[in-house]
Amino acid sequence: MHTTLLWAAVAFYGLALVLILPSVRRRRPRLSPWSLGALGLGLLLHAATLAITTAQTGRLQPTDVRSALSLFVFTLTAAFFAVYLRYPITSLGIFMLPFVFVLSLISALQPPPSLSAGGLRGGWLLVHIASMMLGYTGLFLTSVGAIMYLIQESELKSKKPRAFYYRLPPLEVCDELYYRSLVFGLVFLSLGILTGVVWASRTWRGPWQLDPKIVASLVTWIIYLILFSTRLSGSGRRRRAAYLAIFGFAAVMVTFLGISFLSSQHGFFPKLGSP
Amino acid sequence: MNLVLAGMNHRTAPVEVRERMHVQESTLVQALKDLMGYDGILEGMIVSTCNRVEVVANADDKDDAATAIRQFLSGYHRCDLREYESYFYWHRQRDAVRHLFRVASSLDSMILGEPQILGQMKRAFLTAQAAGTLNGTLHDVINQALAVGRRVRRETALGTAAVSVPYAAVELAKKIFGNLAGKTIFVIGAGKMSELATKHLLSSGAGAILVTNRTYQKAVQLAHAFRGTAIQFDQIFEYIDQADIIISSTGAPHFIITKNRAERMIAARRNRPIFFVDISVPRDVDPSVNDLDAAFVYDIDDLQGVVEANIKQRQREAAWAEEIVEQEVQRMMRHFASREVVPTIMALEEKLKRIRQGEMERFQGRLTSLTPEQRETVEALTQGILNKILHGPITELKSGAGSPEHRALVQVIRKIFGVAE
Repeated sequence: MHTTLLWAAVAFYGLALVLILPSVRRRRPRLSPWSLGALGLGLLLHAATLAITTAQTGRLQPTDVRSALSLFVFTLTAAFFAVYLRYPITSLGIFMLPFVFVLSLISALQPPPSLSAGGLRGGWLLVHIASMMLGYTGLFLTSVGAIMYLIQESELKSKKPRAFYYRLPPLEVCDELYYRSLVFGLVFLSLGILTGVVWASRTWRGPWQLDPKIVASLVTWIIYLILFSTRLSGSGRRRRAAYLAIFGFAAVMVTFLGISFLSSQHGFFPKLGSP
Repeated sequence: MNLVLAGMNHRTAPVEVRERMHVQESTLVQALKDLMGYDGILEGMIVSTCNRVEVVANADDKDDAATAIRQFLSGYHRCDLREYESYFYWHRQRDAVRHLFRVASSLDSMILGEPQILGQMKRAFLTAQAAGTLNGTLHDVINQALAVGRRVRRETALGTAAVSVPYAAVELAKKIFGNLAGKTIFVIGAGKMSELATKHLLSSGAGAILVTNRTYQKAVQLAHAFRGTAIQFDQIFEYIDQADIIISSTGAPHFIITKNRAERMIAARRNRPIFFVDISVPRDVDPSVNDLDAAFVYDIDDLQGVVEANIKQRQREAAWAEEIVEQEVQRMMRHFASREVVPTIMALEEKLKRIRQGEMERFQGRLTSLTPEQRETVEALTQGILNKILHGPITELKSGAGSPEHRALVQVIRKIFGVAE
C-alpha cells in the first residue's frame, strides 16, 4: 500500500517538474498553478505514505536509506512551499524540483524496509532525526541560494544580460535566501548533533565517538560555522562563501547517504550492536 | 458584422500627417456622433494618440463602412482625404480584429511593449461607450482587445525590460539590490542622464540622496530638487561609504574612484554590494573596480549594451505575444461565426417543423382510424425523417464557421431550403 502511494507521490513530483518546463523556456512571473498543484498533491500522497509506514512500524524514525531519503524529500518539498510563500521566485522551483524528483525516485527504488527492525526508539532520537532533516533542508536551500547568487553575479559582472539575468531574482534576494537558510540550517544541525550525542551516550556501548558519520557531521558543521562567522564579522568575500556553501552541501549529502554504508551504528540497517 | 478600420501610425505616416488627422480628446464625443451620422454606421470608436489615429466602425451588412469613414474623416478634418490616402491602412473583419488586438497588446507600438497604449485604448473605449456608440459586435471586439492586452502583459515579459539608458540603470540597481527602499544614492557631478537616472531611482523607492558638484551652488540646486543633501566636492570621500549607488558624471580627466579606494569602500561596507553608474566620459571609475567582489561598474557603453540586449529580449517576448493574439483572434472569430449561424439553424428547424405540421393536418382525416400506438409511430417516423434531413446541413453550418467560403455556403443552404434572410 505505502509502496504504491510512494510511487504515486513520485509520479506527481515528476509531473510538477514537467509542468514547470514551460516557465523555463518562457519567463513567467509565477510558477504555473498546475505545477504547484501537482507538487502539492505529491506532498499529500507522500504524507499519507509516511503516516502509513509510521502506523505499520509503530515509529517515525527512518531505519533504512529508503525511509530516510523519503523523509528528507518530504521536508524539502514542504520547505519549498514555505519558502515560495515568502519568495515567489520561478527559479526556486526550477532549482528545487529536479532535486525533489530525483531523490524521491532514488528513495522509491530502494528495497522496502523490513518491518521487524527494532531497537531505535526514544524521544531524544526523534528530536535528533527531526533536527537533522530540518538542518539538511536549510542547508540545501543555502546551496540553492549560493548557486543562484553565483550565476546572477556573473551575469551582472559580464555586463551582457543573457537568459539567467532575466530569470533569476536580484542578487540581494539570492543572498538573503542564502543567509537566512544558513542560520536556520546551522541552528538545527547543531541541535541535531547535540541530541545525537546525548542519545548515543545513553544508548550505545563502545567507542562511538569515531563513528564515520559523526566525524563527517562534525566536519560539515565546522564548514557551516566558518560560513556563519565570516558573514557575521563581514569579512568574507561573498563569492568565496557561495562556493564553500555548495561544497558544504555536497559534504552534507556524503554524510547523509555515503557514510551510511561505512558506519556500523548509522547504517540505517538493523545491524546495530546495541539494544 | 461588418467591421472596417482605417488608421495610420508612426510607421505609415510622418508626425505632420498624424497631427493633421489627430482627434482632440475634448472633441472626441462630437467626432463619434459625427461618425454615427453617416449611412449604415451602427457602432464606432476612435483612438487618437501621438503615435496613431484609428477609426473603427461596424456597419450594416449592406453598407460600405469604408465610404462612411472616408466621408467622416474628410468632413471632420475639412480636407480632401485623397491627399492622405497613402498614409492610411485599411483592415476589414478578421484583420481589423487582429489589428485592434495587436495595438492593445502594444505589438504595434513604436517602443515594443510600452504600457500607455492599453490605457489610451481603454479611455477611448469608455468615451465611446458613454457616448453610446458601442453597443454590439464592436463593443465585444474592443472589450476583448483590452482583455488580450492584459493577458499579454500578464503572461509575457514584453513590457518589462528597460529600453532606455536611465531605466537600464534603475533595472540593474533592482537586479543587484532587489528592493531599493532605504538605499542611498550619491550623485557626483550633474548632467541630464544622471538626473534622469536619479529621478527614476527615487520613484522606484530609493531612500536618501547625496549630491556633490565642483560648483557647490549647482549641488545645492540639485539637492534641493531631489530633497537631498548637498556635499562639498572635496568632502566626497567622507560621505562615499554611505552610498549604495554612485552615479558619477564629472568629466574629470582622471579616475575619481580608483581600485584602491573601491577596496576600502567595500571593506567599510562589510562586503555588501555597491553599484557604480559611470556616465562620465572620460570615465570616473576605474573599470577594474568591477573585478572586486560585490562591486558592479557600468559605464555608458555597458548601459547601452544592456538596453540593446533588452530590446532583443522584448522581440523574443513579442513572438510569443503574437501567438497569443493569433489564438485570441481565432477564438473571437469562431464565436462570431457560431453566433451568425444560429439564426439560420433556427430558421431551418422552424421551416421543416411547419412542413411536418402542415402535412399532419392535411392527412388528419385519414389518420383517425389509427390506434394511439400507431399514431405515435407515425409521429416518430416523420420526426425521424426531419432529423435525418436536418443533420447534414446543420453539421455543415456549425463546422468551419467564420471563413468566407462558409458565408457562401450559408447562403446556398438558405436558398435550397427556401429560408429567406
